[in-house]
Amino acid sequence: MKKLPTLILGAVIAAQLTVPVSMIRSRELVLKNGECFRFKTRPIDPADPFQGRYVRLGFESDHILCEKQESENLDHKQKIYATVETDSEGFAYFSGWSLSPPETGTYLETRYRNIYSARNPETEKWETKGIRIEIPFDRFYMDETKAPRAERIARDATRTTNCWAEVRILEGKAVIEDVFAEGQSLRELAAKKDKK
Amino acid sequence: MRKVSAKHLQWLEKELPVLESEGVISPEVSVGIKSYYTEKTASSVHWAIIAFAILGSLLIGSGIILLFAHNWDELGRSARAVLSFCPLMIGSVLSLIALIKNGGTALRESAGIFHSLAVGASIALIGQTYHLPSDTPAFLLSWALLILPLVFLLRSTGAFLIYLGLAWGWSIAAQETYGQAAGYWLLILPAFGRLIMQIKNSRHAPDTLVSLFGLLIALCMSLGFVFERTVPGLWIVAYSALLSAAGLFGIHYYRDRDSWSNPAKTFALIGIPVLAYIFTWTYFWDDIGWGHFRLGWNYRPWGNWLDGGITLALLTGWVAAAVKAFRRNSMETILLSVFPILSISGFLLSSSGDGFETLNALIFNAFLLAFGILYIVLGCRNTKLRQLNGGMAVLSVLLVTRFFDAEFGFMAKGIVFIALGAIFLSVNLIMARKKKQMEVLP
Repeated sequence: MKKLPTLILGAVIAAQLTVPVSMIRSRELVLKNGECFRFKTRPIDPADPFQGRYVRLGFESDHILCEKQESENLDHKQKIYATVETDSEGFAYFSGWSLSPPETGTYLETRYRNIYSARNPETEKWETKGIRIEIPFDRFYMDETKAPRAERIARDATRTTNCWAEVRILEGKAVIEDVFAEGQSLRELAAKKDKK
Repeated sequence: MRKVSAKHLQWLEKELPVLESEGVISPEVSVGIKSYYTEKTASSVHWAIIAFAILGSLLIGSGIILLFAHNWDELGRSARAVLSFCPLMIGSVLSLIALIKNGGTALRESAGIFHSLAVGASIALIGQTYHLPSDTPAFLLSWALLILPLVFLLRSTGAFLIYLGLAWGWSIAAQETYGQAAGYWLLILPAFGRLIMQIKNSRHAPDTLVSLFGLLIALCMSLGFVFERTVPGLWIVAYSALLSAAGLFGIHYYRDRDSWSNPAKTFALIGIPVLAYIFTWTYFWDDIGWGHFRLGWNYRPWGNWLDGGITLALLTGWVAAAVKAFRRNSMETILLSVFPILSISGFLLSSSGDGFETLNALIFNAFLLAFGILYIVLGCRNTKLRQLNGGMAVLSVLLVTRFFDAEFGFMAKGIVFIALGAIFLSVNLIMARKKKQMEVLP
């Protein structure tokens, strides 16, 4: 028996097991201790060759309002920390950003995408209003048969009522708990429509 | 010890008494031959066993990934977390058995392939369970790094090819996500290390040949993605150097071997005419060189240094291979060595100003013409149909394309097509007859 190669292989297997274990541990910590936020969504439905079918989530709040000169030195894809707050309707939005983790409040570790512009209704010109950021919870995996139906339900629901994702955030990391349409869990809704 | 298949040994055993009775060999010689093959050779595993073992592990591994991709909503988080470890555990046990028992090629390859796919399946299922974001480069990088030791420990070519595929995938995803993929060169270094070890141990072994072919294809596919493209057209020099260096390396290390027995030369002989054909179009020579330096948010300021460094490394490889392989009496080595010189000249000419596009296109038309003619001549001289047809195919594509460029009528075009087809058929017929006459039946 070759002792050294076997020992090395043992160490490799241990490392291979450590990666999924640490992935599970960190996400379970977020789900257990993270603060819960509701993000308004706009879902679409693609597929991933390795991970299966999912509902891709677009979010209404994917930007941070700030002065133009504040974001001038940001590089594309640069890591930033976005502060999360809740508005009067109970939905989450990003209120500010910093290059290091803020000492107080809930924040999300993300990356800078590009400038956020909006049309000024008075001048009718596009003006820089802030920055767009990457949303690191844009996938909601579902059963391959339910995902297209869930997407349809969510799309219809978005027209008439609010559709949102419940996300838990802890120390910059975020995990989606569930997605809601017509006030019900998307999974349950897709399963119900299936039985009908 | 030489490896001889059981099928050939059986044939020999039947033939020896016949040769003995016909008086071709003496009984002593017959006994000598028999004892040589019994004592000095080992029976080799049939390739079909290895192929089916590889195919089986590939199918099972991919099937597990697809089963996981279905997304079993009914199962809870904890059940899915436990499930994600199952293929990884099976893969680990298989690898341990293959290593401890010093398993044969079939066992090592199946363990390597299954274990490599199980690592990806495990990470993917956890990503699915916790709805992790679409961080493809991080996923591919973790997967690649976690299976890299298996390539060396199990000496598995299948795992090696999966690693190369993941590194290539990472280069595309990283370029898309981070805007640069310079780390690819670090990822590919261990692959070079493994290949050098294989070539030193047994350069003609099938797994060495497959690894060499895989690495060359991976390099060829990744080079375009990893390049920062801050200096337009530098890829022309880089690709020419890579292909020429590979061809010359193949000629030096694998001598007169052809086709799959000489992957480096085959890779070059397929790649060079394709690249040279691309260079026969004038618009590939438009707006290239340092005068058209690209700036912007999606180009790194150090991009020219990285691209320049890679190109320089490839050119160094080309010079080293040319020094070793170049022979004045071999038109093949001359043609392969000249290819990057023409590309460099073309790049420098087009960089110096406008108006050289047509000249460069003409030069590569002439090169391709020479390439086609050379292989037709070599094919006729060596009675090799593959060389002859390769040369004729290159020549035909060149002639047909240039013919379409010019505004000839349908009748003229039709006649040229028929003439080319007739030449193809008659030359092949003549060569096939010539080969048949020369063939010595066993």
